[in-house]
Amino acid sequence: MTDPSFPFEYLSNYLIIGAALMALGMLGFLSRRNLIVMFLSAEMMLQGVALTLVGFSRYHGNWTGQVFTIVMLTVAASEAALALALILVLFHRIRSLDVTLWQDLRETGLPESVDTSGAEPYEPVPGPESYPHLTPSGVEPPHPRQPWEQRRG
Amino acid sequence: MTLLDSRDLALIAAIVALGWVGIWLLLPHRHGGVKTARAYRVGALLSAIAVLLVLPYLTPPGDLLARLFFYSFSLLALLGAVLMITARNPVNSALWFAVVVLSSSGLFLLAGAQFLAAGTVIVYAGAIIVTFLFVIMLAQSHGQAIYDRSARRPLAASLTGMLLLGALISAIIAPGATRKDGDPAPIYSVGAIADQPPADGPIAAVTAQALTETSRLPRPLEQGETPAHVAGLGATLFTDHLLTVQVVGLLLFVALIGAVAIATPKAPIRPDRSTASSSPGSATTNPGGVS
Repeated sequence: MTDPSFPFEYLSNYLIIGAALMALGMLGFLSRRNLIVMFLSAEMMLQGVALTLVGFSRYHGNWTGQVFTIVMLTVAASEAALALALILVLFHRIRSLDVTLWQDLRETGLPESVDTSGAEPYEPVPGPESYPHLTPSGVEPPHPRQPWEQRRG
Repeated sequence: MTLLDSRDLALIAAIVALGWVGIWLLLPHRHGGVKTARAYRVGALLSAIAVLLVLPYLTPPGDLLARLFFYSFSLLALLGAVLMITARNPVNSALWFAVVVLSSSGLFLLAGAQFLAAGTVIVYAGAIIVTFLFVIMLAQSHGQAIYDRSARRPLAASLTGMLLLGALISAIIAPGATRKDGDPAPIYSVGAIADQPPADGPIAAVTAQALTETSRLPRPLEQGETPAHVAGLGATLFTDHLLTVQVVGLLLFVALIGAVAIATPKAPIRPDRSTASSSPGSATTNPGGVS
């Protein structure tokens, strides 16, 4: 009845791996706070769906699943472009990648979801930071320059 | 009629429970607190057991080499996924995501999708490099930020994700769990139906009409011959799915315009300066002012 080189059991292999990638991606998207890691988790959910589609394409013996996957890759590329542009704009506004700093976009009446008042301070590695030293060249700009280590927020 | 026997239910419950506790221990603390090394070790152990418990549901495919590659790619994908969502440093997250993408394109190859394997590697390699650039540009490289060291509701989030995983696995294995040898497959293969003579019934007749020759995967050929894979994909893409290609091209164009419109640098809007310095501009656009 079915293709003997790709029976139903092999299809369910692909479905299970795809489901696991999807569930883990959702877990990461829900729990992490860094915008870049959330973006990567969303991409991983797409990857799990792509595995499912390719398995179905092989099982049904036609190209439709692979064409769907090509469309999905294109949507993922568009999503990456827009998401990274949005991350860039959001970072320029508040100098942070923390998604919970944008909580004032939530619905009215909902409480704040994250409280980091009990966070321990991060212990930096003692000693001065060392960066490669470059000899300045060219014309000195007219405006006063700030050392770039101090500009980081 | 029960869909799953008690052994399957127990195994799925074990996957859900172990994955819940393990990933909760591996995720950052809710308020950014410090976790001991023992908590990480226990979490890694429990997550590894949960990943290994998924393996009994996978049927070993083909010969020895195919099994070896299938199991190693599956394990790498699952472990890379767990490590990606739990890594503190976003650079490490991007690296583990690369592992996930590479192993899933290996799985694409095993399922006979050569072009997609290559395409995924190419597209996602670019995406990962861009993400790397973003991490290096934006993230705080000295010291980990508070938002990397703390998670948002880790206990509830890992329970939700693991419950979704358990529901999906039980839904996937339920049609095949009560099947005996010789029973037909729970999902009919469209290609196998189309291969039947159309006189066999209305379903076969409709399927043979609906499936054009370009939309079918290449037949397995004689030993030594390789089927024209990319040519077949191109043929179906540009005959059966021509409108799809156009729409996708339009989508890319719109996304390009949107990204340029969003990311173009504008005058910064800071909450501390927006009221003081923007008064001349707002006076011209809104001369009456707010009543």
